[in-house]
Amino acid sequence: MTATGQSNATDQSRATARDDPTGRGAPTGRGGPTGRGGPTGRGRPAGGDRRLLPARDWSVMRAVVAKDFTAIRRSKGVILPMLLVPFLLLVVLPFGIGLAARSAQSPDLHGVLGKLPHDMARPITRLPAREQLVVLVDGYLLAPLFLIVPLMVASVLAADAFAGEKERRTLEGLLHLPVAEKDLFYAKVLGAWLPAVGVSWIGFVVFAFVANGVAWPIVHRVFVPTQLWAVMILWLAPAVAALGMGVMVRVSARARTAQEANQLGGAVILPLIFAAVAQSTGLLLVSLPIAFAVGGIVWLIAITLLVRGATRFTRDRLASAL
Amino acid sequence: MITAEDLGRRFGETWALDGLSIEAEPGEVIALLGPNGAGKTTTVRLLDGVLTPDRGRARVLGLDPVTQGTDLRRRTGVLTEAGGLDDRLTITDNIVTHARIRGIPIADAKERAAELLRRFGMQDQADRLAQGLSTGERKRVALARALLHRPEVLFLDEPTSGLDPAATRDVLDLIGTLAADEGATVVLCTHFLIEAARLCRRVAIIERGKLLAFGAPTELAARMWRGLRVEVELGLAADANLLENVTSVPGVSDAQPTERGLSAVVEDRGAIPALVASIVTAETAVYAVVPRPPTLEDVYFALTGRTGAEL
Repeated sequence: MTATGQSNATDQSRATARDDPTGRGAPTGRGGPTGRGGPTGRGRPAGGDRRLLPARDWSVMRAVVAKDFTAIRRSKGVILPMLLVPFLLLVVLPFGIGLAARSAQSPDLHGVLGKLPHDMARPITRLPAREQLVVLVDGYLLAPLFLIVPLMVASVLAADAFAGEKERRTLEGLLHLPVAEKDLFYAKVLGAWLPAVGVSWIGFVVFAFVANGVAWPIVHRVFVPTQLWAVMILWLAPAVAALGMGVMVRVSARARTAQEANQLGGAVILPLIFAAVAQSTGLLLVSLPIAFAVGGIVWLIAITLLVRGATRFTRDRLASAL
Repeated sequence: MITAEDLGRRFGETWALDGLSIEAEPGEVIALLGPNGAGKTTTVRLLDGVLTPDRGRARVLGLDPVTQGTDLRRRTGVLTEAGGLDDRLTITDNIVTHARIRGIPIADAKERAAELLRRFGMQDQADRLAQGLSTGERKRVALARALLHRPEVLFLDEPTSGLDPAATRDVLDLIGTLAADEGATVVLCTHFLIEAARLCRRVAIIERGKLLAFGAPTELAARMWRGLRVEVELGLAADANLLENVTSVPGVSDAQPTERGLSAVVEDRGAIPALVASIVTAETAVYAVVPRPPTLEDVYFALTGRTGAEL
C-alpha cells in the first residue's frame, strides 16, 4: 500500500481528528466518545491540546530517549562516523597546528591577516610572530569549522532516529504503543540533540586541552576558550544541532533508510546550511552582540522547522508510509 | 469487545479497506483471513487507532480508536508482521523498553519479561542481542513483548509467516492457550486456512479490501450451500439406475458418481439411513458412508473463486 495521492487537506483533517496528542489522561480515557462529524468520520472535534507548550509525559519520553541512547551506543555504524570528524577536527588538527607552530620558522601571516576583518585581525597582529599561527587557527579559524560537529552528529543521529526506525521496521511497533505523537517526536529529537550537544561540548573541552597544551611552550598561557568561543559553544552549537535536527526530520520523512536520509541531508541540504552558518560566523567573530544575534536567528529557524516537523509527525501519516 | 461498522480507509484512490463490519466477544479468537494486500494489516491499524478511517466506525474495549487511541493502546498488544525488534538491543532490552514506555516500572518489567521468556523457552537467551535471532525466535520475543502488559485485546499480524513447521506449531500452540490463560480477545491476521480453522470460531474473509463473509465456517457454509454432502463408498462407480434410486429418496437432493461410489447431498444427517437403505435394497454393497460438512477451505475458495495454489 502507498500513501500517494493523499491530499494535504485529508492529512490535516486526519491530524486534527486524532486523539489527545499529549497522551496522558486517566485510563478511562480522555476526549471521550465524542460525536462524529459525518459519515466519513472526518471533521470530528479534535481532542488535541492546543496550548502553545502542552505538558509532556516526561517518563515516557525518558524511556524513548534511553532506548535510543542504548541503541546508539551499540551501533558502530552510528558511533564511528559520529566520533571520527570531531576527533580529526578537535584533536588531530589543533595538535598538528601546535606542533607545526613549535617546530617551524615563524610563518608570514600578513597576507592572511590582511584579509580578515580588522577588529578580528588587530589583536592577532599584536602577538609575537610564533604565537600568531596557533592563535589565528585555534582561536578563530577553527570556530566556524567547529560547527560541523553539532551539525553532523545531529544529522547522523536524527537520520537514525527517524528514517532508521522505518528501515529497521521498528516504527510500527512504536506507533502501537500508548505514547502521544508529540511525546514520541520530541523524545526522538532529544535523543539525537542531547548527544550532538554533548559530543560538541566534550569535544570542545578536549580541543581546549589539546590546543592549549600543545601550544603552551610557545604561548605560555591559556588562549582557548575566548569569549566568542564560549558563545559559539554554549549558544550557537546547540542552535546548529537543532537546525540539523529540523532539516533531517523533514528529510527523514521522505527517506526509507537512514543512509538515504544521510545522503539527502548530508550531500545536499546540510552543506548549504553549513555554508550559510559559516559565512555568518565571520560576522559573529566581530562582536558578541552579533554572535548572539546570529545564534538567535539559527534558533528561530531551527525551532520553526521542528515545530512544523512535529505537526506533520502523526501516526496516520507515518503508518501510511510504511 | 470489538465492533467495526462499515470501516473503510483509502490510500490515494485505492480503498485498502472498504466497508468492514465485524465483531468479537471477550475471550474470542477471530481471524482476518485473506491473501497479502487484502487489508488485514490496515484493519489492525484502524482498530488500534494507528490509522484514521475514511468511513465507518469502530469500538474496541468500549473505546473509540480515533479519539481515545492512547487509552486504547494501553490495553491492547500488537504483534506486527515484521516483529519490530531492534537488532541493536538485547532480547530483554527489546521487551523492557516497550514496557517502560507503557509506564511499567523497570523491576516489574524485567520480572515479567523473564517469566514470558521462560514460558517461550528463551530464558537462556535473555541477554543476547536480537541480531542473529532466527525468524521463529524473533516471533517469540515479539509475542512476549506484546503480552508483557497483559493486554485485553491482542492483534497478531501473520504470527507464523516465515516460520518452519515446528516453530509454526509452537506459536499456534501458544496462541491457542492465550485466550484461555490470559483471557484475551485475539484478532489473528493470517493467510493460512489451517491456522484460522484451528484457532478461530469465527473468521472474516477479506479480499482486496472487501469483506466477503464473516462468521463461523459452518454458518457461512450453511448460507452458501443447502444440505450436507455424503460420500458413499461402494467399491466401484455408481451406475445410472442406482443414482436414480438414490435421488428418489426423500431428503436427498443430488447424487453424482465418484470413482469408487457416489457423492450425494442430503438435507441433513437424518436422511442418511434412508439413503443407505435405498442402496442396500438395490443389492449393492456399502463399504463406508462419510458425511463431509464443508470446511473453511471450501468456504474460502468458493467465496474468493481462488484455487488452493493461489492462496
